[in-house]
Amino acid sequence: MGKVRVAFFDFACCEGCQLQVANMGESLLDVLGAIDVVEFREVMSEKSNDYDVAVIEGSITTPHAVERIKEIRKTAKILIAYGSCATIGGVNGMKNNFDLSDIRNYVYQDKARFFETIPTRAVHQVVPVDYFVHGCPVYLPEFVKVLKCALAGIPYRVPDSAVCTECKLNENECMYDKGITCLGPVTRAGCNSWCVNNGNICYGCRGMVTNPAENGAKDILEKYQIPLEWVENKMNMYNKAREQDTERNPDGKKC
Amino acid sequence: MTKSVILKKTELNHFIEALARSAAVVAPIAKGVKSFAFEEVRDGKTLSLKYIPTILPPKKYFMPQREKIQEFDRKAFRWTPVKENGFEKLVIFGVHTCDLSGIQFLNQVMGEDPKDVNYLARMEKITVIGLECNDYCDSYASCAVMKTHLPSGGYDLFFTELAGSFFVDVATPKGEAIVKGTGLFKDAGEVEKKEFENLRAKKEKIFRQEVKPANENLKGIFARSFRSEVWDDLDRRCVACGNCTNVCPTCYCFDIRDEMDLNLTTGARTRVWDSCQNEEFAKVAGGENFRGKRGARQRHRYMRKFNYPVDRFQRYSCTGCGRCSRTCMAKINLKETIDTLAEALS
Repeated sequence: MGKVRVAFFDFACCEGCQLQVANMGESLLDVLGAIDVVEFREVMSEKSNDYDVAVIEGSITTPHAVERIKEIRKTAKILIAYGSCATIGGVNGMKNNFDLSDIRNYVYQDKARFFETIPTRAVHQVVPVDYFVHGCPVYLPEFVKVLKCALAGIPYRVPDSAVCTECKLNENECMYDKGITCLGPVTRAGCNSWCVNNGNICYGCRGMVTNPAENGAKDILEKYQIPLEWVENKMNMYNKAREQDTERNPDGKKC
Repeated sequence: MTKSVILKKTELNHFIEALARSAAVVAPIAKGVKSFAFEEVRDGKTLSLKYIPTILPPKKYFMPQREKIQEFDRKAFRWTPVKENGFEKLVIFGVHTCDLSGIQFLNQVMGEDPKDVNYLARMEKITVIGLECNDYCDSYASCAVMKTHLPSGGYDLFFTELAGSFFVDVATPKGEAIVKGTGLFKDAGEVEKKEFENLRAKKEKIFRQEVKPANENLKGIFARSFRSEVWDDLDRRCVACGNCTNVCPTCYCFDIRDEMDLNLTTGARTRVWDSCQNEEFAKVAGGENFRGKRGARQRHRYMRKFNYPVDRFQRYSCTGCGRCSRTCMAKINLKETIDTLAEALS
């Protein structure tokens, strides 16, 4: 049996998550030893319509993108949503804060009629997804973990505990003790509290835990005298497209 | 074998330097605005003698946050336990009495059959030097009601800070060897003994039972509170971030994670600290969650401190360090919970 054929595709995104793979360094050689990359626009010119695993970066924002992702889904045996834009809509979701035609005219001005647009959706809100690699950008150790699960045909379980759990294990000083608002308490773990380890706050790029405590969260804000809008704005930076989740395609259901 | 000696305060730096020559030394150091952590030190200059309980308790040295326990080969169906022998000698300096009590509890749990071999192997390599709290660290602590504000073993040496010196209790041969080896200690004189006694007498006045119920009534209060409305209140407030259990000196629940190498054949099994507060902790195959409500999970945490361990280990597993209340995002306070439960029953 030959190596598993893997193709990378991008939709509405900055391609920064794919850049993470390109920048992986020495361990990229190990990864390439296990797979055969057949399409990856950012690092090679070859293209292919024959692949086993499709790695999708970016969110679905146009009717054309809907058609394209459906085609990819038909071909791929395994589909991996990769990076916040693909897994939760990410920053592209901010578009959903506005009236669609307003925002279309604002961005494209007198050429707007050439650019059809739809509300931003995460990949699983359009086609079934087998694996999720959250993050903006993705946390490479987690991507490699997911890739191994995909190759072995076993599920990958995205942690459903708060970023705080990993942050405490790393013994970081709590941002709230420094007087800074952080989304760690409501954001799902799996990144090893990467941002906080490096002195930044958690921006919620991995999406919210499945059962966030809204009452409790409000208490926290009251206690630290933080206006609700601030946190809503912070949360919506990555998580606005969450509103597009339905019973039929609940986030993370397949994994 | 207990015996008292003196170390001049001006000699502390030399003492830590001397220790650091033959072992790794960790001590509380300031971390950020108002936090502390046990980290490696080379001398006595960076450590904090006055500190509130560290973010993580010293248990991280006995059972690390992440620990490889097995290596496996899927094709050969072979699992090999990783029994580590290569632990370096470690000295933990400046352990408060609450944390000494936490270590004693874990030693008891891990020493029972089936024994945790790696924990016990580490324990052998670790020297514990306690440090007395002359006053409360802050208002979160409840060490007086838990009876951990005074030392009751669990250390090799125990330091009490006096005006110009440390009054040091030598409790074990390991401690004795340090006293002899460093050559920095002298026998305690009458003046220091008197000063030490005065300090202990003063502490009796400072440290007062922080909650309404007495120590011996706590077990009964929790045993009768399984259906209390207090848990509904905590259900509304808790955000399930897991901070309370991750910082607890006596929580030892863990998750087991297997990860393959890229060859998809060999790999390693890792033990990682887990928390009963996490959504998935009591979730089983099929999606059923036995403690799906945050209130039920909080209740479980409290019962594991004040009720169940008394039946199982004949002691409370709360050390009164106050970490869970101090770190709680939702300001759930252990002292308040105890008082509210007691009040509801009266």
